[in-house]
Amino acid sequence: MTIRLEHICKSFGPVRVLEDVHLGFPERAFVTLVGPSGCGKTTLLRILAGLETATSGAIWHGTEKVSDLAPGKRDVAMVFQNYALYPHMDVGANIGYGLKVRGVPRDERERRVREVARVLEIEPLLARKPRQLSGGQRQRVALGRAMVRKPWLFLMDEPLSNLDAKLRVTMRGELKRFHLRLEATTVYVTHDQLEAMTMSDLIAVMDHGVVQQYATPAEIYNRPANVFVAGFIGSPPMNFIEGARLGGGEVAIPAGDRVVPVAASSLAAGADRTVRLGVRPQDVRIDGAAGVPGEVTLVQLVGSEKLVDLDLGAGVRVTAEVKADLPVEQGARVRVSLDPARLHLFDASSGRNLAA
Amino acid sequence: MNQLGFVRQTVAYVVLLAVTFLICFPLIWAFSTSIKAPKEVMATPPRLLPAEATSANYRNLITGKEQYFRADQAYVPTTAAPQHFVSWFTNSLIVSGASTLISIVISTLAAYSVTRFRYWGRRIVPYFSLLGYMIPSIVLVFPMFLVMAQLSLVNSLWSLTFGYVSITLPFCMWLLWAFFRGIPIELEEAAMIDGASRLRVFVDIVLPSAAPGIIAAAIFSLIVSWNDFLFARVFINSIENLPLTVGVMHFFEGTHVDWGLMMAAAVLMTVPMAILFMLMQRHLVAGFGAGAVKG
Amino acid sequence: MHVSTSTDWRVADDRIGILFIAPFVVAALVFMVYPVAESVRLAFYQHNPLNPDAAAFVGLDNFRAIFADPLFWQSFRQATIWTGCSILLQTVIGVALALLLHLPLRGISVFRGLLLFPYIVPTVVIALVLQWMLNPDIGVVNWSLRGAGLIDESIYWLASPNMAMLSTIMLNVWKYTPFVTICVLARLQTIPLELYDAAKVDGAGAVRRFLDITLPQLAEVLVVVVIFRTIWTFNKFEEIYLLTKGGPGTSTFNLAIYSFEQSVASLKMGVGAATGVVMMFLLFAGSLVYMRVFRFASEDA
Repeated sequence: MTIRLEHICKSFGPVRVLEDVHLGFPERAFVTLVGPSGCGKTTLLRILAGLETATSGAIWHGTEKVSDLAPGKRDVAMVFQNYALYPHMDVGANIGYGLKVRGVPRDERERRVREVARVLEIEPLLARKPRQLSGGQRQRVALGRAMVRKPWLFLMDEPLSNLDAKLRVTMRGELKRFHLRLEATTVYVTHDQLEAMTMSDLIAVMDHGVVQQYATPAEIYNRPANVFVAGFIGSPPMNFIEGARLGGGEVAIPAGDRVVPVAASSLAAGADRTVRLGVRPQDVRIDGAAGVPGEVTLVQLVGSEKLVDLDLGAGVRVTAEVKADLPVEQGARVRVSLDPARLHLFDASSGRNLAA
Repeated sequence: MNQLGFVRQTVAYVVLLAVTFLICFPLIWAFSTSIKAPKEVMATPPRLLPAEATSANYRNLITGKEQYFRADQAYVPTTAAPQHFVSWFTNSLIVSGASTLISIVISTLAAYSVTRFRYWGRRIVPYFSLLGYMIPSIVLVFPMFLVMAQLSLVNSLWSLTFGYVSITLPFCMWLLWAFFRGIPIELEEAAMIDGASRLRVFVDIVLPSAAPGIIAAAIFSLIVSWNDFLFARVFINSIENLPLTVGVMHFFEGTHVDWGLMMAAAVLMTVPMAILFMLMQRHLVAGFGAGAVKG
Repeated sequence: MHVSTSTDWRVADDRIGILFIAPFVVAALVFMVYPVAESVRLAFYQHNPLNPDAAAFVGLDNFRAIFADPLFWQSFRQATIWTGCSILLQTVIGVALALLLHLPLRGISVFRGLLLFPYIVPTVVIALVLQWMLNPDIGVVNWSLRGAGLIDESIYWLASPNMAMLSTIMLNVWKYTPFVTICVLARLQTIPLELYDAAKVDGAGAVRRFLDITLPQLAEVLVVVVIFRTIWTFNKFEEIYLLTKGGPGTSTFNLAIYSFEQSVASLKMGVGAATGVVMMFLLFAGSLVYMRVFRFASEDA
């Protein structure tokens, strides 16, 4: 059964936190709500959990309206950012608490707890208290507590943000594997666009309480709906050039009227206009003979790639991502070309993608 | 601060020991007196260590034997007080325990309510409590006496219990409020999502987390009610119903003051507090941290 | 499938909140609000507790009686002296002790633990013990002082007015200095050690470091502590009464004892209550000062 959020609005007093959020989550999808701090993603998650009530709008699970149900009655499970493990109970009791509250008999309870612990590889920790565990272990316990009840909806509030970078990478894969195993719908909140891209079936990019775009990762990466989404998703972030002129089948960037060719299908109908040009660093080439002259201002080695900051004159600066073995030094003069098939054109005032 | 030099350290230790000795001296001296026989008690110059230690004073208190003083070859009864010592002790226990229990229950529920729910006036309740704490008991005691008189509770242990609730409740409320504010709400949210009802959350999750604060408040309450003099003096007028604080003042009656007996009573009276004191070492300091500058 | 109406569970939730606060509200009304209100009412009545039916409204007579009574003013004066001396001693000794306990010595936590000991000793106990120790003929204090050659004749600690005042001050200091020490010690422990290191590098000696770093940091805490303890000490009853009963004569009376004597000895509960009202008024004024300063101090922090 799909989950539908219908026109969810939320205000805290005079402050508007969510504006007409209207989304549908397919069954068993992994959906990520991503955006900067304060965009409303956590509030939306809490509304799904029942910890907050929407000011207006409804939530449907199939044909059942769940937005009026108490959190305990919704049969959802949540993993909190700080895990929220019950400090005075041992790991086994923590995991089994939801079952206990629902009156599951002790034998079955213990069986299920042990099974979940086995899957999460925390069986030897069952008798310990939370304060004796490491961050990664606590996280698994929090996961276990959520998994053992076999809910239809899994909510995760930035579960990886308290882990160190290396652990985060491992856990990303693990979380995705658990999701597939559980066959439940997962709604995942994060501010990290990389997590969103690697883990999700669908991403909702949010800013200031409004869903900017709701689509698959590929769609969001290749056809961002507006400047915000384009700049938020993708690392290193997309280059933006203001005041580019569109006309006559070409796009010209305002550095002394230099001309950059653009594929014909990308042109908006007719009239000349000023647009904001977006191009990802991966689509900026500096190894060709043709292109706009530019000066290398900074080279940063990332490992298998290099990030090259370029100054094209008249205040236009872009960053290119090139292979690490390409020889380039600070101060060098190169020819900068932009892949014509990979340009994004945004309306200069509204920021909307012209191709959308 | 880094390590001190050896001389400085020695000086510091000496000073510390001296200060500690001075602070504890009254009780040390009381104990010393309490294990002396009457003749030695009155002997001069007074010595710290008795020549012959005796537990007679303690035995007499506990068995309630009438105490006699030998003066000029004749035995003269000193005071009728010791017969009631055991009742005084149990009275103190009962009243302190009961009032503490009542105060803790009321203030725990109230502190939780004020920090987790929204309704008019919830913000002023803690400050109102603090205000109540500052009211001197001399102001409270006589009106409460009149109420007790009307309820025919005068001279009963119930009147003391209620009296002590009135002086312990405000601070317990303040302490627990400060404490509950520090408990993260995510724990309760997780439990609610797990399916627990609000009441269940309170019992399973909140109370265990609040245990340190509750213990601190309970200890405070026990100490205050055990030590009170004024309420007992005003509310109780028959000797059997007195708690220890007023009871021991009766040792001053009679023809002669039996200091040995009185010091034994003083020591016994302090023992429960000393036990509490040892138990609460960590808790009280934590409690003070949560509260404020209390006196 | 039953779907509960819109805010069902929220309403039930709120009801628990009200239910939980109800006992406190009742208790507060009965045990706090009522006695205070009644005390204020009594202040305007003539009330003999042995003859309650003859109670009569007398307007401001009780207050006039108090303000005309030289004993009242004497009590007020003595309370002020008593409070002032106590606070001064508590503060100085308290800070000194805190500094001592702040030293990085092994086993210092044992000493810190012992420090709160006077607080938990019942006032009755220390009063009794002091009476015994201060006994002019066989008490240990006089004997020790004579033995050390510091005095020739016995001091009448409780029988002479000035000594009685001193004795009660000593009791108060013994019992409550630990509080000052605890608060100051807590503050000392929050002063970042880097400040001292920086000062040492700048060339400041130990005394300078104390004056320029430690003392200013302590100032905030001390102001708050002093005001709070002053409010508290002014109204103390047991610490004086149990040692001297306000005597000899009335030389150690304070307002609380005055009120007590009016109600119990003179059987004038109305006058006692009126004194209580005056005490509450002073308390209130002191609290306002405290709150002003506390806000000031905590904003600074």
